[in-house]
Amino acid sequence: MRMSNIAKQIAPGLALQKVDERIMTLNVGPQHPGSGHMRIIVQIDGDKIVACDPDPGYVHRGEEKMAEYRNYIQNIPHLERPVIHDSCNILYPYCLATEEILHIEVPERAKYVRVIAAELNRCVYTLYWLAIYGIFLGHSTMFMWPTGDRELLIDLLEKMTGARVTHAYFVPGGVRNDLPANFEDVCLRQVDYFEKRIRAYADIFYDNPILISRTRDAGTLSRQDAVRLGTTGSVLRASGVDYDIRKKEPYDCYDSLDFETSVLKSGDAYARSKVPWLDMLESCRIIRDALSKMPQSGSVRVKLKPNPKGDEMTSYKRVESGRGTLGCYVVSDGKPEPYRVKMSVGSFRNLISLPYLLKGEKLGNMPAVYWSLNYWPVEADR
Amino acid sequence: MMKDLLTPQNANVFVGKLGDILEKAVGAPLGYAINWGRIWSLWPVHIETACCSVEFGAASGPRYDVERFGIIEAFGSLRQCDLVVVQGTITRKMAPRLRLVYDQMPEPKYVIAMGACAITGGLYFDSYNVLPGIDGILPVDVYVPGCPPRPETLIQGCMLLQEKIKRMKARSHV
Repeated sequence: MRMSNIAKQIAPGLALQKVDERIMTLNVGPQHPGSGHMRIIVQIDGDKIVACDPDPGYVHRGEEKMAEYRNYIQNIPHLERPVIHDSCNILYPYCLATEEILHIEVPERAKYVRVIAAELNRCVYTLYWLAIYGIFLGHSTMFMWPTGDRELLIDLLEKMTGARVTHAYFVPGGVRNDLPANFEDVCLRQVDYFEKRIRAYADIFYDNPILISRTRDAGTLSRQDAVRLGTTGSVLRASGVDYDIRKKEPYDCYDSLDFETSVLKSGDAYARSKVPWLDMLESCRIIRDALSKMPQSGSVRVKLKPNPKGDEMTSYKRVESGRGTLGCYVVSDGKPEPYRVKMSVGSFRNLISLPYLLKGEKLGNMPAVYWSLNYWPVEADR
Repeated sequence: MMKDLLTPQNANVFVGKLGDILEKAVGAPLGYAINWGRIWSLWPVHIETACCSVEFGAASGPRYDVERFGIIEAFGSLRQCDLVVVQGTITRKMAPRLRLVYDQMPEPKYVIAMGACAITGGLYFDSYNVLPGIDGILPVDVYVPGCPPRPETLIQGCMLLQEKIKRMKARSHV
């Protein structure tokens, strides 16, 4: 009784709620093994979910406001924190937009180095996501395998950038430092081994009858609904819409590289869990292609003036991150600090479809559907 | 002589003194045994608060494997946990929840502040929605610096906590 009174005072939503005749309200999270850094309020009738209300915002740190009183270079470290395991991709649109404002032309070699770093990082992100998906479904091997294989690519990125996860590698005007000596050979060897490893996931995960029975036909999102709800990335591609920014609006050197987008038609949790895996296989192909086409020498960074000032203009750039389309809108008013930085993140857009997907599902399917949305709460809250 | 001493009025005093003597004789080795049991079965509660949870996850993975040091992977039921690893930034929305989680855990319980944000606010020291460190809401045992700390650093922090528990009085928690 006392605890519930305290709860009512400090956090109104946390207090125990009255039980209806049939409908019961459940709080899933923020302290829950199947929620992440967020809360999902579900109303259940027996075992069936009647309504669902996601409650994000537990990691809202005001990144966009903070960006207004730091200059263009100082913004780099804190803008990558929303997705530290995909830090190259989250900095990508900010760097592209800032380069347009500061009128910088990126060197040719830097474009290839960026693509390699971004694709490696996409794999690192997707493996972590896959590991958590495994543990959400009670598949502990699927936690251990991806977290172990992830370390291979983290080693590679550590050689490139000097940091394990928070690289701060992309800067307006290129990348922070050139590739280390003999990087191409090491990278090719690691990526070959990595590809062999992730192909083995099909045996224990994607062809596993238990996983298929848990995710097949769970939370099916039709093609029309996927477009109507504004989902992006793997969720959209799992519903049969071939939409990938790397193909539709190629940035840096993606138009010169040879790759395909992976699209599945069924739109259920199984397809949504499989598309990022197919993307990783494509990423390996992109990395090999970029390594072969990369100019062997040249500068990787344009030297900026200290405290650069931009013109009075706006810029909006989009990239394809591990979670979907990631946009960054930068407004400059001619001062060293941006007037406004707005990040449009894929996680938040995919979350919008959660209440539609969970309606009518079994409660046990909730983690399978929720995490298949390729959702990272810290990024959605910003 | 004994019969005179053991009157009903004196009995409580006598038993009390006997208890003190016993505790002095057995307390120290018993406390050591209790603490030994505690340090090799630390159960962290499953509450992620920010991005350091990625490195916490990597620490439970096969390369770092905190389990060999007696730190078991994050666990769902907080009624059976005795360790809170505060994984990064605490926002104003999360702070009451974190305190509620801590209050519901049984004694003895320990707190590790992981990452610069949990220690001082870190990169977000001037943000409007972030607490400047968790000292204001939780009693912290070990600070693990870094942004985010590498898994090795987290493991070192856990070992420091084990060292600290070894030197604690076993009965002071109860």
